[in-house]
Amino acid sequence: MGAQRQPRVVQPPRTFEGTAWKWMRYSGILLIPLAWIHVLIKDVLVGVHQIDLTYVQRTWAFTLWRIYDFLLLAFALSHGMNGLRQVLMDYIHSPSGRSRLNWILFIIWLIVLLMGAVAILGGVKGAEAF
Amino acid sequence: MSGPSTAFKGYIKYRGYGHVAFLLHRLTGLGTLLFLLIHIIDTSFVYFWPEGYMHAIALYRSTPFMIGEIFLVFSVIYHGVNGLRIIYFDMFRPDLWERETGKRSVIWTLIISIVLWLPAALIMVRNILVHH
Repeated sequence: MGAQRQPRVVQPPRTFEGTAWKWMRYSGILLIPLAWIHVLIKDVLVGVHQIDLTYVQRTWAFTLWRIYDFLLLAFALSHGMNGLRQVLMDYIHSPSGRSRLNWILFIIWLIVLLMGAVAILGGVKGAEAF
Repeated sequence: MSGPSTAFKGYIKYRGYGHVAFLLHRLTGLGTLLFLLIHIIDTSFVYFWPEGYMHAIALYRSTPFMIGEIFLVFSVIYHGVNGLRIIYFDMFRPDLWERETGKRSVIWTLIISIVLWLPAALIMVRNILVHH
C-alpha cells in the first residue's frame, strides 16, 4: 500500500453535489422510521386485502396521517430521485448530459410530487358516497 | 468445475465484500424507487381516478405482486440497515472502510436485515395462503 493514509471523516464540499451528498444521509436517517413504520403497517399488519378507497378515506380522516404521508412522500421521493441521479451520473460524464439528466429528473420529481400532494390534500374523490 | 458459486466466490475475492454491499444497495434502492413512483401515482388516483385506484389494488392482490411485495419489504429493510452502516462509517469510523474490517460489517448488515425481514415475510406468506 506504500505510505499509510490515515482514514478521516469525509467533509463534502460546499457545492450542490456536496449538499446532495449530505441530503442522502439526513433524509436517509429520517426515512428509517417514516418508511419502515409505513411498510410495517400497510404491507405486514394491515395487508393489501384490507386496503381500498374506504380504508384510505378513514386513514386520511386524521390530519396527522395526512401530514405523515406527505412527509413520507416528500422525503422518499426526493431521496429516491436523487439516488437515481447519483447512480446515472456514474454513466453520464459530459456537463451537457448531466445538465439534461438533472432537468429530466427534476421535472419527473416535480410532477409525481405534485400528483401525490394534490391527492393527499384532496382526499378520496366522492368520499361522501362511502 | 466453475459453477455460479465458484464465480461468485471469485468475484467477492477480487472485488471485496464491500462491493457486494454496494451492488445490493443500488439494486434495492433502484427497485424501491421504481415501485415508489408507480405507488405514488396509483395512490394519487384516489383523488384523480378512483376506479383506476381499485384496478391497481386488484392487481396488487394477485399472487405474483404479493410475492414481489415480500422482496420489496426486504429491499426497504436492507437499504435502510446498509444506509445506517454507510452513515456510521462516514461520520464516526472511517477506518472501518478498510477492506478486511469491512467484510464483517457487510455480513452483519445482511444478517440483521434478514432477521428483521423474516417475521414480516412469514406474515406476508401467510397472507398469500389465506387469500388463495
